[in-house]
Amino acid sequence: MGCEQENMAIQFNNRDPVYVQVVHYFKMRIARGFLQSGDVIPSRRELANQMKINPNTAQRAYKEMEEEGLIKTEKNQPSQVTHDQAVLAKVRNELIDEAVTQFVDSIKSINVPLEDAKKLIEKRYGEEEGER
Amino acid sequence: MIEVKEIIKRFGRKTVLDGVSFTAEKGQITCLIGVNGMGKTTIMNAIMRLTPIQDGEILVDGKEVTKDTFEKIVFIPDATIMLPNFTIDQAMDFMNDFYQNWNQKRADEMLSFFKLNRADKISSLSKGNTAKVNLMLGLAVDADYILMDEPFSGIDIFSREQIAEVFTSHLIEDRGVLITTHEISDIEHLIDKVVLLNDGQIQKEFMTEEVRENEGKSVIDVLREVYFQ
Repeated sequence: MGCEQENMAIQFNNRDPVYVQVVHYFKMRIARGFLQSGDVIPSRRELANQMKINPNTAQRAYKEMEEEGLIKTEKNQPSQVTHDQAVLAKVRNELIDEAVTQFVDSIKSINVPLEDAKKLIEKRYGEEEGER
Repeated sequence: MIEVKEIIKRFGRKTVLDGVSFTAEKGQITCLIGVNGMGKTTIMNAIMRLTPIQDGEILVDGKEVTKDTFEKIVFIPDATIMLPNFTIDQAMDFMNDFYQNWNQKRADEMLSFFKLNRADKISSLSKGNTAKVNLMLGLAVDADYILMDEPFSGIDIFSREQIAEVFTSHLIEDRGVLITTHEISDIEHLIDKVVLLNDGQIQKEFMTEEVRENEGKSVIDVLREVYFQ
């Protein structure tokens, strides 16, 4: 569990609701494959302690994730990541969309033509692959 | 719920609290913020009946504060409260004699969490460890409400982190916490509600997550608006 706790330490920004940042963190972990369908996630109390947040905030984040269908909690059972592949695929798409939007917004704001941007992306992608 | 209603406090001719009203709910961490000399500590003293008020009333769970209320509500001041020649062990004994709700198991748990040595004399402790002892003595009482006066002031960063960690644990869960601080950045993520005191009055009372969600503002953003508008 020690390693897991290390991973739980996230740097919060002060202007977005903490619960939203917690939900986003879980989505990232799912999209990256650290969390898979059926995986048990910490209890609200454990999460609050690991992430150093208010237990009410942990509660709120879990409620949000339940409403989005991301996690399931049966009575007296620990919460689990959903088996619903459609939901998991949606999370992935949501994060991709977010990253692309961010990239496009910042590169457009400094007037980089699409063709140049494409070339840059291709070049960078190649470099990353090469490093691995 | 702790209800502070229209309280007025004067020191001589000086009005320190001029019709202050707010609430602190159970299961929430409420933070009383104001620059120094605004009367934060006076409010805590008034709730604990350590200082008389000239007008207004203070209710805990709908009732006036009496002797019995003090089993339900604990005050952790920022100064040493025990006799200086007491060891930590003796201080715990003292609390045990005084409070029916003293919970030794919880006290032991906190001693090991804070890595405190029970045989140490309180007067020999560093400022950080004194604050931890105060916190331990207060939180080991099974009270519904906890008032903490400046638990972070003058303490090193790692002790502050350790103390902040207590706020995320079962030691605080389900209790009502009212805390004063001017070092808000340490606990910005941890608090549910902020009560802003300025010139003896409540300037603003808000839920931190709501302000982030609806206005995209941090607690410090709001403070800046209030104090420098």
